[in-house]
Amino acid sequence: MLYREAGQFKTTYSADMAIFPIRQDRVALILLLLFAFIGVPVMATFHIWPLGSDYMLRAILIPFLILALAAIGVNILVGYCGQISLGSGAFMAIGAYSAYKFSTGVHLPLAWLGTALAIPPLPVLPSILLGGLMAAVVGILFGIPSLRIKGLYLAVATLAAQFFFDWVFIRVKWFTNYAPSGSVSAPELNFFGLTVNTSIERYLLCLIFVTLFAFVAKNLVRGNLGRQWMAIRDMDIAAELMGIRPFYAKLTAFAVSSFMVGVAGALWAFVYLGAWEPLAFDINRSFQLLFMVIIGGLGSILGSFLGAAFILILPIMLDQVPHAIGVPISVETVSHLVFIVTGALICYLLIVEPHGFAKLWSIGKEKLRLWPYPY
Amino acid sequence: MKADVKPKPVIAGQGVDAGEVLLAVQNVSLSFGGVRAIRNVSFDIRKGEIRAIIGPNGAGKTSMLNVINGFYHPQEGVITYKGRQRSAMRPHIAASQGIARTFQNVALFKGMSTLDNIMTGRTLKMRRGLLAHALHFGPAKREEIRHRAAVEHIIDFLEIAHIRKAPVGKLPYGLQKRVELGRALAMEPELLLLDEPMAGMNLEEKQDMSRFILTVRDAFNTTIALIEHDMGVVMDLSDRVVVLDYGQKIADGTPAEVQGNQAVIDAYLGVAH
Amino acid sequence: MVVFGQFLEVLIGGLLAGVLYSLVALGFVLIFKASGVFNFAQGAMVLLAGLALVRSLDFMVARGVPVWAAIVLGLVFAGLIMAISAWLIERFVVGPLVNQDGLTLFMSTIGATFIIEGAAQLIFGSDVYPLRLFPTDAWFLFESAFPGGILVNKLDVWGGLIAGILVTGLAIFFQKTKTGRALRAVADDHAAAQSVGIPISWIWFVVWLVAGLVALVAATVWGTKLGVQFSITFLALKALPVLIIGGFTSVPGAIVGGLLIGAGEKLAEVYLGPFIGGGIEYWFAYVLALAVLLARPQGLFGERIIERI
Repeated sequence: MLYREAGQFKTTYSADMAIFPIRQDRVALILLLLFAFIGVPVMATFHIWPLGSDYMLRAILIPFLILALAAIGVNILVGYCGQISLGSGAFMAIGAYSAYKFSTGVHLPLAWLGTALAIPPLPVLPSILLGGLMAAVVGILFGIPSLRIKGLYLAVATLAAQFFFDWVFIRVKWFTNYAPSGSVSAPELNFFGLTVNTSIERYLLCLIFVTLFAFVAKNLVRGNLGRQWMAIRDMDIAAELMGIRPFYAKLTAFAVSSFMVGVAGALWAFVYLGAWEPLAFDINRSFQLLFMVIIGGLGSILGSFLGAAFILILPIMLDQVPHAIGVPISVETVSHLVFIVTGALICYLLIVEPHGFAKLWSIGKEKLRLWPYPY
Repeated sequence: MKADVKPKPVIAGQGVDAGEVLLAVQNVSLSFGGVRAIRNVSFDIRKGEIRAIIGPNGAGKTSMLNVINGFYHPQEGVITYKGRQRSAMRPHIAASQGIARTFQNVALFKGMSTLDNIMTGRTLKMRRGLLAHALHFGPAKREEIRHRAAVEHIIDFLEIAHIRKAPVGKLPYGLQKRVELGRALAMEPELLLLDEPMAGMNLEEKQDMSRFILTVRDAFNTTIALIEHDMGVVMDLSDRVVVLDYGQKIADGTPAEVQGNQAVIDAYLGVAH
Repeated sequence: MVVFGQFLEVLIGGLLAGVLYSLVALGFVLIFKASGVFNFAQGAMVLLAGLALVRSLDFMVARGVPVWAAIVLGLVFAGLIMAISAWLIERFVVGPLVNQDGLTLFMSTIGATFIIEGAAQLIFGSDVYPLRLFPTDAWFLFESAFPGGILVNKLDVWGGLIAGILVTGLAIFFQKTKTGRALRAVADDHAAAQSVGIPISWIWFVVWLVAGLVALVAATVWGTKLGVQFSITFLALKALPVLIIGGFTSVPGAIVGGLLIGAGEKLAEVYLGPFIGGGIEYWFAYVLALAVLLARPQGLFGERIIERI
């Protein structure tokens, strides 16, 4: 009886087009945001279970938020526009290293022009956003082949991006400011005079980014541009005959997707890792993001969150549960089990519910709407 | 926001007067590798008429539509549209010049709702860019509502309001064909190409579809070219008929003229060439 | 003469390394030809086959079984493992996805990749296991023509021989046998093949089995070269650009693509590497494939696709 939309009549198109047309959904979202923005920090401050120690924030919530942001980006490209990408890790790396370069100052000698490109060190926020922008630019470049090649062939193009940038950030020392170990550290996280230091502050910073970008993504996918992306995904030839320009639709998807993935990469490096090596963004990261999107739900913003949560929590569960019931298993075995469970779940979902957890969620809601009647 | 904005009827005489030639196909030939799909075909479509293209299977009818809306590029021949000779173009440019179409095997966007499918037809008329949409506020939102109102009119006209939010993939075939017509109408085309709009329909659905086609022509003054196998429908609906066989034109004229043409009868009954 | 000798040595080494890429690419082509599935799990299958072989071999040798018998039994055991995994994959992964589009099937094989990698290491262990089936020392050719001769690795030559035999065998299988014809029909259209009475699940089992055996052959060569270890799975990724260049459906294409990539990346490493930083082998193949795609979207050997609506 609680989840019922009967009696909620919409009298304007504006109301019908709202992000959450059903009142109960709106209330739930507001409660969730209140909890995330106020409840969690308060609980962490007073060490209330399950936020008794720093671990929950530092090792679960912060990476969850950042990976959810990256997953939203990947979902825009793969789930909404139907362009498969195996190179998301590279775009996270581009975001991270560009942000690093902008925050430490760019000095690019252009010997053949007899001059040099010099940008003084920028504050953290513009650095992160410029990191996203660089990722978007490179995303567009690697998206251009998508205008001529499709499906699996495109997957290889994105793999080329992955391996090429892996190499670039290892071998081209300019990007790491010639650090001998190849590892670089994030600058001090200073936002308009406020320094972000503790886990709670880091958590809130990520939360703000993710909330904003999630709304932007939701707005994009329910508007004209989102419809163009989905039209390209569902039937590209028909879409073009409807007047949709594949060039514009695909490249905007690549740009928006890479931008969000790039910002997530910068956050991952600056806020979560603090110091990092190129290995943090290798092909395994790309697969991880792709799996989040498949498991969470292709073409669903909510699904990006669910998928990120699942992929992050699975190894922790597989590690903790056997310990809790007294069956100690080695770290190696856990990592193999994670492989098996993830793989099996992907196959299962592709066969049974191609739209992932998000679809299961909406089926559940549909049932709840009618409860206790079957129809 | 006024909700009852009528879809703006396309006025006859935007460069072309009623009864004047809207599109002319002259000596067009198209081949794939060694297969010659269309051989030296010429015909025209006049403003405001319903023009049928008929012929046995494999006669090159769909290829002809593909040529008209720029999906295939003929090796030879000239296409004149609205008095201007047309060069090779991408299909989306043909769409922006007012040519819309439906497909033989329904080509809807399966992952989207009926409403969203028809809204894609408005793409060319929407101007707001990436950043405006990201905020979904002010001009972008107003634009969205304005086009939504126009689309709701089409939904009412085609009597598909009850499936407005349903994913199209799960709809019965007849309704899918209707949604597809709606999507094409949302483009407010001057020339509407219908590829077998009644294939696989029962009598009642065919009657509905015929009614929609006639209304579209009469109310919006849209020129229509259609491929259809049901001769009864063709004879009732169309003003003029062109008959293709093995990629060649074998007859052209009013339904009555074509019906009595010996070459047409031979083609359909399969006389040895 | 020294310069030319070095060039020849790099070229031959590259070509022979390319043959090994072709071996993996062949497995891909087989499954793609026969089921329209792009099998991302091919690399994982090489790992599984290699682990099954080397671990059973070590087990038997440690218990005093003569080496030749251990090799034969080990190969049989690994073959059996591949058969079981082929059956499982058909039954639980691709079988239920008949008639789905290519991208869904592709993603399901990524899932299968992870299952196989996890299971193979869980069962057989995850260290580096050395395998010695072929000689790994070198020949020096043309010592009279070039000072020091041209160094050629015997293992690479063995790899080339085996690839040649495999290709001939597979070509006969595809073109001349009834099963081969059925395979090609299934690849074209699942539903149509089913409707003329081709038992699709049996056909797919056969395909996956053959691909598994090709993986076993690849594992013997690669395992001897690098030791059986997890990084073998990355070979699968190297085979992707080979396929792009050679085309997904062409057996000779897989060979030519492999040779081009192998020779190209070795030459690039030696002659281009010093100028732009070493290690370009790592991405050269992919960027080459990307360049080929931009010039010819259907690959070098692919047929032009006529789009219909």
